[in-house]
Amino acid sequence: MPPGFRPYFEMLVTWRYRLRNGLMEKFDPRARWIFSLAFLFAVTLFWDARFLAFFFIIAFVWYFSSRAKWKETRRGWYLIGFILFMMIVINTIITGGGAGGVVPPGGHLVWPQGGTIPLVGWQFHFGLTWERLWFAICQLLRIGAISAIFLIIPYTMDPRVYGVTFRGLGLPDRFAYSMELAFRYVPTLARDFGTTLDAQRARGYEIERVKGGIIKQIVRIAPLIVPVTMNSILTGEDVTNAMDLRCFGTRPRTWLQKLTFHWQDYALIAFSIILLVGGIIMLYAFHLGNFWVPEFWLKLAGG
Amino acid sequence: MQKKSWKFGTREVVYAAIGAALYAVLSLATNWIQLPSAGNVSFRPAIVIPMFFGVVFGPIVGFIAGFLGNIISDLIAGYGFWFWWDLGNGVIGLVPGLIAVWMTTYNSFKDIVWGEVFSTIGVLVGMAIASISEMWVSGADMSTVIFANYLPAVIPDLINGLILLPILMIAYAAIVKRSGR
Repeated sequence: MPPGFRPYFEMLVTWRYRLRNGLMEKFDPRARWIFSLAFLFAVTLFWDARFLAFFFIIAFVWYFSSRAKWKETRRGWYLIGFILFMMIVINTIITGGGAGGVVPPGGHLVWPQGGTIPLVGWQFHFGLTWERLWFAICQLLRIGAISAIFLIIPYTMDPRVYGVTFRGLGLPDRFAYSMELAFRYVPTLARDFGTTLDAQRARGYEIERVKGGIIKQIVRIAPLIVPVTMNSILTGEDVTNAMDLRCFGTRPRTWLQKLTFHWQDYALIAFSIILLVGGIIMLYAFHLGNFWVPEFWLKLAGG
Repeated sequence: MQKKSWKFGTREVVYAAIGAALYAVLSLATNWIQLPSAGNVSFRPAIVIPMFFGVVFGPIVGFIAGFLGNIISDLIAGYGFWFWWDLGNGVIGLVPGLIAVWMTTYNSFKDIVWGEVFSTIGVLVGMAIASISEMWVSGADMSTVIFANYLPAVIPDLINGLILLPILMIAYAAIVKRSGR
């Protein structure tokens, strides 16, 4: 097996969720989705570090209420770390590029005199400003807060309740059922994929040697993708017939899991509304929350 | 029976679910393959699944296969929930689905070319939606969006999709012919 392949394959049938008895799990999944989405829209209203710090704290209080451990979530954080590196170090600090039109042009240069490359003596001018550096901190707060809210979902939400949750949030019955069915199909299809892989290997197919140019690599993947896809399509016909015979869709569905709002869910929804509406009022009525650089930071620049 | 583009009956419910689960499973199973000479760009042959399900079963099935499949894949991998990228993947399945009603044999030159053209449009539009959303969420500028998000997502998706889609369409045509479904 190529490095990294076996772990991926083994976890195919393993959901990240397990019961941790964290505070977060005491809330109804519908209330949690409402909070997460309201948080997302609220935090993206602001570029002011004071507001973003407030959201950052809320996000991590929420995150830690899940009781998820670092060793469980670190893979996700590595990915977010990579994205943050690309966004902040490459884009904002090294290339600049206007920082999304948020940072005004000009500003206080970090190295106004430029620098000299040792040995060759070449002069260079680096356009990094103190304002852009502050913007990088704001990006860190904003993306970090959003990541904390959404990264934790798979670890704390039971996959069996996604269908009924989204039905409860207003998604039509058929869409919610399709979602429910998809979650239930994953282990079956993962098993089919494993069987196909074993069958192809028995015929001499060597996935370890998927080498060569791009086209060759893709074409060599086809003996895995085609049988699994076609087999599942044939199975789908049987499932469709079985559902039709049971009069699927002729009347509203009932669900195995029943979700009920409790007082803490109403409190979370109310908090979500306050967060979003408060954010909109702050920005559009009081013009607070736009990009702002503190005085002490500019003093560092000598300005 | 006459095909309807936006129908979402029992058959579509089932195939949307299968498409989403397949996309999730195959994405995870092939995540280990990296593009030659392109570090950190994951090779995702599974992107063909939303395109193929769109072409065969229509836009809603294609959309759900891409949208929900990407959500499930991210949930299993522990990457969290990234709505705008899920939406982009949904569009990759939705656009090829727009020509599903005109598909007849699936293995004719005309059907394959139309499938490829609409899949290309789907990738270009879907990844544009996902990438541009980063300007709103992360404050990235246009050049970063293009070079750090859009192109690394579009190029492998197009290469994978355009090579594998005809293979799946021809295989599906054989199944339709054999089973008479």
